Amino acid sequence: MTGRLAALARLGVVRRLGTGLAVLWAAATASYVALLIAPGDTVDILVGDGADTPEIRAAIIKEWGLDRPEIVQYLAYLWRLLHGDLGRSYQLQRGVGEVLATQIAPTVQLTLAAAATGVTLAVVIALATAGRGRAARGVASAAELVAVSVPPFLIGIVLLAVFSFTLGWFPVSGAQGPSALVLPALALGLPIAGVLGQVLRGGLERALEQPFAVTARARGLTERALVARHALRHALIPAVTLAGWFTGTLLGGAVITEALFGRPGLGRVAMEAVTGRDMPVVMAVVLLSALVYVTLSTLLDLAYRAIDPRIRG
Amino acid sequence: MKRLIPVLLLALAACGAQPAAQQAAPVGLTWAVETQPITLNPQQWSQNKARLLVFNQFDALLTRNKDGSFGPWLAKAWKVSDDELTYTLTLRDDVTFHDGTRFDAASVKANLDQFFVEGYNAAVAGIQLRAFKEAKVLSPTTLEITLKEPDALFLDFLASPYAGQISPKSLKSAKDLKFGGTDLAGTGPFILDRYVPGQELHYRRNPAYKWPPAGAAHQGPAHLAEITYRFLPEAAVRVGALTSGQVQVIEGVPATEAGLIKNDPGLTLQTALNSGTSFSYYFNTSRAPFDDQRVREAFRAAVDVDAVLKAVYQGTATRAWSIVGKASPFYDASLENTFGGDAARANKLLDEAGWKQRDAQGYRVKGGKRLSVRTIASAAFIRDRRDILAQAIQAQVKQNAGIDFQVKIVDQGTAQKALDDNDYEVFENSRGDSDAGAALNLLLPGKGALNRTHFSDPDVEKWIAEASRTSDQARRKELYAKVQQVVVRDKAIVFPLYVPADQIAAQKSVQGLGFHPASGTPASAYDVRIGT
Repeated sequence: MTGRLAALARLGVVRRLGTGLAVLWAAATASYVALLIAPGDTVDILVGDGADTPEIRAAIIKEWGLDRPEIVQYLAYLWRLLHGDLGRSYQLQRGVGEVLATQIAPTVQLTLAAAATGVTLAVVIALATAGRGRAARGVASAAELVAVSVPPFLIGIVLLAVFSFTLGWFPVSGAQGPSALVLPALALGLPIAGVLGQVLRGGLERALEQPFAVTARARGLTERALVARHALRHALIPAVTLAGWFTGTLLGGAVITEALFGRPGLGRVAMEAVTGRDMPVVMAVVLLSALVYVTLSTLLDLAYRAIDPRIRG
Repeated sequence: MKRLIPVLLLALAACGAQPAAQQAAPVGLTWAVETQPITLNPQQWSQNKARLLVFNQFDALLTRNKDGSFGPWLAKAWKVSDDELTYTLTLRDDVTFHDGTRFDAASVKANLDQFFVEGYNAAVAGIQLRAFKEAKVLSPTTLEITLKEPDALFLDFLASPYAGQISPKSLKSAKDLKFGGTDLAGTGPFILDRYVPGQELHYRRNPAYKWPPAGAAHQGPAHLAEITYRFLPEAAVRVGALTSGQVQVIEGVPATEAGLIKNDPGLTLQTALNSGTSFSYYFNTSRAPFDDQRVREAFRAAVDVDAVLKAVYQGTATRAWSIVGKASPFYDASLENTFGGDAARANKLLDEAGWKQRDAQGYRVKGGKRLSVRTIASAAFIRDRRDILAQAIQAQVKQNAGIDFQVKIVDQGTAQKALDDNDYEVFENSRGDSDAGAALNLLLPGKGALNRTHFSDPDVEKWIAEASRTSDQARRKELYAKVQQVVVRDKAIVFPLYVPADQIAAQKSVQGLGFHPASGTPASAYDVRIGT
């Protein structure tokens, strides 16, 4: 019995790993093909707006192995990828792996801080306002609407103007300790708090109207305990489903936030790579984002089971 | 969650309690710059915006003055043979690299030969060094360079970032030579000791430094013990960081922010015109409608350039009158007030050229075809609000002459494809070469690498070729004046708009800031000091 279960679990894990790999391969191939059919050829990009002579072009083609057939270049790319070699950046004169390695930590730091800020704010506001008076709900939901609709760029500028340029509480730039992380994390976390707050409050209010809530109240549970122990769990399911969306928001928002606050990070690398058509870097970033998504969706599947016992059976 | 909230609040409080704006020690400062360099190796340099960093860490062999003449730097003296094929450099004998290696003729030769290592820098080997034959070490302080043919721009090369001298030891052993960084040893007044990609560069003073270029304001080591360059691409953020005292110097002040800084008694603002070519629209003369000179002249006449510049740049832009920028010694001032701002003439010319009818939207039409022209610009190279400038011009040519000017801002690949397919009418460009002749070599000859006008003229080519061979600056000025008159006045293949400039804003206490005389870009930090 336990043997069969273990086998099933293995099968599940193996299947999940297999799908994950397939998604990664598809992401690598799709980005490769997209950049291949995009206008302009690689030699032009490498020449940039610099001098352009047949000799220089020949030297570039030789240096980057661009004279090989496209399918050979593609297979060589996949082969290198399998060995963990992401290639060399066209513009940055360095290995892509090295570029990403130096830039990944600040981005992880920023996105985690922003996610924590967003989730904390959303939970606090939802708990404080769910099922409460109209005025409190109105204020909270207006604030959420503003946080969602104002572009993060503007939020960032306003935060800077007030808390850095005028009040001088936080430095504008760099990754110098935790104080420099506060404003970027807020700028990136506020839109998430906005959406998540709405969803959580809606979920809480629906849960509090369910029959089990009435039963719990009848058992003598205080409203606070009811919300914390029972209703929040119900409300979390739709919120967790949104996590995929907010991973995207975080990664996308990081591009703007990092440039605005002069922070190092992947977002800035990605933006510069896309405008400069630095293919190896773009592909590596796409691959990395795919990896993050695959990992996260696997973890979320597991999280559902933990939150909602009904799924376990 | 209950535990997390107090922690977060505590963290917030702790952060607020720290003094946020770093108090600058009197011997160091922080300078916010717009552009993060893509390479820190001077021999791979390609961004004019990153030029201010190069000569902190590295020194060139010569220095170039505002009038186009040259002065000594790591080379004390230089001699050019009568046939202009042999350059003999006499080098300083008291210079050492940051890694302790001695600077001598052999190291200069190693730096020159490095350009011909495959995959190092094909562009410089093919353009700036195309005439280079060989370098011979005659003595530790004497180097003889032979050229295959005379090249007026060779001295300019010796004064350019490409001639930044790298320790031969670094050339052999640097981990990432083409990228540069802290393990690349130069001879400059500062030593790069920290590079945080996406954030900042940190330099400390080179205490042994005593070989500044001719024209430097002081001798001996730099005044500042250390300097940090922080990358802040957003102009409003740079200005805010300056006004709130978080940085002491910034470069790149847009017109919209210049007033704010001028009105602040605690701040200073300096501007200098860049060398090289003006920001200009180049007409594609190989396609209709700009194959007709009357249409080219009409386009220029239809734009009231002064009004447009005033609206877009709030009076901070300098109008250009020639393809060569006003800061260049080769600028031909006789072209001033020869074009633009004459709507009546524009309409007359277009009528004569056969664009007589108008369609429902008011655009001119000939043979059922609308008078449409396109500029295709790569978003990566848009700066100085050039997209807004294009829109202002679009409005003017429509209103004043019924020309449909389409502004297409696209990715670099699409822009390149349009150029390759000859599918554009206007090519917009400015170049920051310290010798404008280098830019003209690329832009004007029929086979020039950046000839996007498809215009070629035997006289122009002859003059440019002669100006490239002779190092007689007066003769070059004469020849380039003739070139400018043909392309700007006689043939109207180019529409000069404004002269690009650089700005530095700083706290009043910062002294010695300035611009590199030949390029007009901010100078290195060598002469900068904190005064009272």
